[in-house]
Amino acid sequence: MATANTEEEKSKSEQQKNHGGGGGFTRWAVLAVIFRLILIYFPGNLNLSSRPEVSTPLTSIRRLAEGYWLKQSSMSPYAGSMYHGSPLLLSVLGPLTVKRTILTYSVANAELKGSLVTFYADLISGILIRATGWKLQMTYRKSLKSLNLLNKSTDSGGLSSGDIAALVYLWNPFTIVACVGLSTSPVENLFTILTLYGAATGIAPLAAFGWVMATHLSLYPAILIIPVILLLGYGPDAPPSKLFRSKENGKVGDDTSSQDIIFSWGRVLHLLVWTSMWSVYVLVLCSISVKQHSSLQEMFQRTYGFILTVEDLSPNIGVLWYFFAEVFDFFRDFFLIVFHSNILFMILPLAIRLKHRPCFLAFVYIAISSMLKSYPSVGDPALYLGLLGLFLDELADMQFSFFLFCGYVGVSLLSPVMHNLWIWRGTGNANFYYATAMAYACFQIVLVVESVSSMLNHDRKLMKLSASKLQK
Amino acid sequence: MRSKLPDAASSRKMAASSAVVAILASIWLCSSIAADASGSSSETTMHTNNWAVLVCTSRFWFNYRHMANTLSLYRTVKRLGIPDERIILMLADDMACNSRNKYPAQVFNNENHWLNLYGDNVEVDYRGYEVTVENFLRVLTGRHESAVPRSKRLLSDEGSHILLYMTGHGGDEFLKFQDSEELQSHDLADAVKQMKEKHRFKELLIMVDTCQAATLFNQLHSPGVLAIASSMKGENSYSHHLDSDVGVSVVDRFTFYTLAFFERLNMYDNASLSRLFNSYDPNLLMSNAYYRTDLYQRNLQEVPVTNFFGSVMETVHTDSAYRAFPQKNTPRETRIRTGNTAEDDSRRSILTDMTKAECPFTRIVSSLESKMETVGNLDSLVNYGLVMILPVLVVSVWLST
Repeated sequence: MATANTEEEKSKSEQQKNHGGGGGFTRWAVLAVIFRLILIYFPGNLNLSSRPEVSTPLTSIRRLAEGYWLKQSSMSPYAGSMYHGSPLLLSVLGPLTVKRTILTYSVANAELKGSLVTFYADLISGILIRATGWKLQMTYRKSLKSLNLLNKSTDSGGLSSGDIAALVYLWNPFTIVACVGLSTSPVENLFTILTLYGAATGIAPLAAFGWVMATHLSLYPAILIIPVILLLGYGPDAPPSKLFRSKENGKVGDDTSSQDIIFSWGRVLHLLVWTSMWSVYVLVLCSISVKQHSSLQEMFQRTYGFILTVEDLSPNIGVLWYFFAEVFDFFRDFFLIVFHSNILFMILPLAIRLKHRPCFLAFVYIAISSMLKSYPSVGDPALYLGLLGLFLDELADMQFSFFLFCGYVGVSLLSPVMHNLWIWRGTGNANFYYATAMAYACFQIVLVVESVSSMLNHDRKLMKLSASKLQK
Repeated sequence: MRSKLPDAASSRKMAASSAVVAILASIWLCSSIAADASGSSSETTMHTNNWAVLVCTSRFWFNYRHMANTLSLYRTVKRLGIPDERIILMLADDMACNSRNKYPAQVFNNENHWLNLYGDNVEVDYRGYEVTVENFLRVLTGRHESAVPRSKRLLSDEGSHILLYMTGHGGDEFLKFQDSEELQSHDLADAVKQMKEKHRFKELLIMVDTCQAATLFNQLHSPGVLAIASSMKGENSYSHHLDSDVGVSVVDRFTFYTLAFFERLNMYDNASLSRLFNSYDPNLLMSNAYYRTDLYQRNLQEVPVTNFFGSVMETVHTDSAYRAFPQKNTPRETRIRTGNTAEDDSRRSILTDMTKAECPFTRIVSSLESKMETVGNLDSLVNYGLVMILPVLVVSVWLST
């Protein structure tokens, strides 16, 4: 008991030591905030909200404004296939898209108001990532200590992984572009991160709320229910349970408490109850919101149905538009099923292999779904690159990291150029642009594969280390 | 023993009579069902809109008066409320900008030149060489090619009252189109019969101002058609007066007196058709205006002229927002004045009776919905709901830690 207390004190003192590195964090965070505010106050959002990378049919703020105007004109907001998002988002963001002048001071620059919402969403997301990172790192240290593998070298001394992840998220040019360009993806990312934070800290209602809202806004976070259940059941990321069992078998009569990882069904049940309650609440609110001129069925058809059937084939950074522009109608359903089940088939094997690391599993799911989703935008790499920063300790030995970094930089520079060549100058064609989209998908695949393999290598290394320690 | 035979006989008789009764009843049932199902007769559909098809079948400068007739009637019909979307105007349209016209872009129907009929607001749907018998019959029957725009189609339905006005040169059972074709009375009767089959009108008023106009109606058989002509067989229809400035006759007598009748009216007058028909004086017309009512069931004294020549809708102003798509359960807020409002009220009450549900769940849901109707602003409810999320979340988080 006494040793446990001293362990807690030790971790707290380590945390306070990291606060010295926290000074560096606050400096960089404040700089990121100031940089965003400068960019937001630039006139005309730097024309970012009209780029296909930022505004897809799901995330475009102009479509949201159109949907809000339709609702104000007593028509269904889904009329005319412009708006395909949630009606609750209409009530929240809709009034911000209307230009109004208060007295003589036109404080109501519509784009400015919209930017501030995404700005706050990003800020809260950064804070939540940092808190999740702290929690993960605490659990990591505790599990390493219980395996007697913790040594001074693992203490980085600088910024902790949570701080780095938050800084990566805030300074990521993708996030900044999504924020300034007024897409709704920062709001979706906020709810996904809220889900992960709630699950990592074990607060079931928070996780349930985040998951329900994230699924409601865009369909794909629905697969995150599995990592959330695993997070609440097993706890945050830890080395494989084999290590702890072998340790128990090895050392008998040890003082440290056995880290017997049992799956706590109580918390999962708690989560499911809260999920159903929040989803009923959200559905009731939606049905009230769409009652006058539309119906719940139309809402589902125009949001989830639109996402699943890929009705809009305007170019984006994904791989689906070009493919579905040339597929024959007879095979269209078949290929829709192929593309969507490509995400679904990955769920089970990854869940089996990575069930001891549910946060990392969530990262992998997010990366896969952002590769294969119907309308990817620039907010998706913003999310998973931020989450990648949470696992820097484990992924320190990732291969091809420089290659991937250069690849991402190259694609993000070339893709707008190819788009310009194709659409505005007419000297290129769709293949130019689609080539960059395919290259981007390749880089994402390499990222996912390499991160999973380096995580598994890290686990094997831990097993080897603990085996060697046991032999001693 | 004795009782058996009469029993058998009587039972057989009873069986036979019951069989006969059953057969008769089934026949009557079938016929009533057929009568109900065989498209609505004009008594059961509601009068919903008014259309006007105004045709001038002459061209050339010396037929100025025919175009003036049609344009005067166009102006009258518009003044009394029918909008351009529901008027099909077919003119040769070569008068206003004719090189012989001393008053360019102006068409008058009176020598006092008080009214310019060819003002800013004239929408001609078929002009020049498009005014052919084929196009006229296509307009009436609705059988157009797919490229024909909606403004050139007669988009009437089974609740429409249509005014068909034709003027030009005619004769015994024919009407001359653009000096090259003829429309014969059986063509017109066929077209009207097709319209009736396709439920393209509830009531049709045909008004023809040509020589021997009444012969054009000889072949009409369809119910719901009222026809009035400017002259009978063997009589000519004459022009009213010559405008010495323009150089041609500017209006025909029949149309002149029709217009004189309508100039005294506004949209809300309920002068009856019988008053219109009786206003024609044969001495003034120099011909006998003939009207045919055998195909028309209603009493002419009860039918207001605005049923055909105008378009009147009674509206009730409300403060709630205009709803583009009408709801099934909300009460109607606009009322259209029809001939029989009592029938409509009873029909509406039948509808509301049918929507009463038996199941308690649906009753709860419907009571919730009715309560939400009275809440008024659903948006504020949604906003409250959204704002309530935050304290609920905070409380739940606090409870679970």
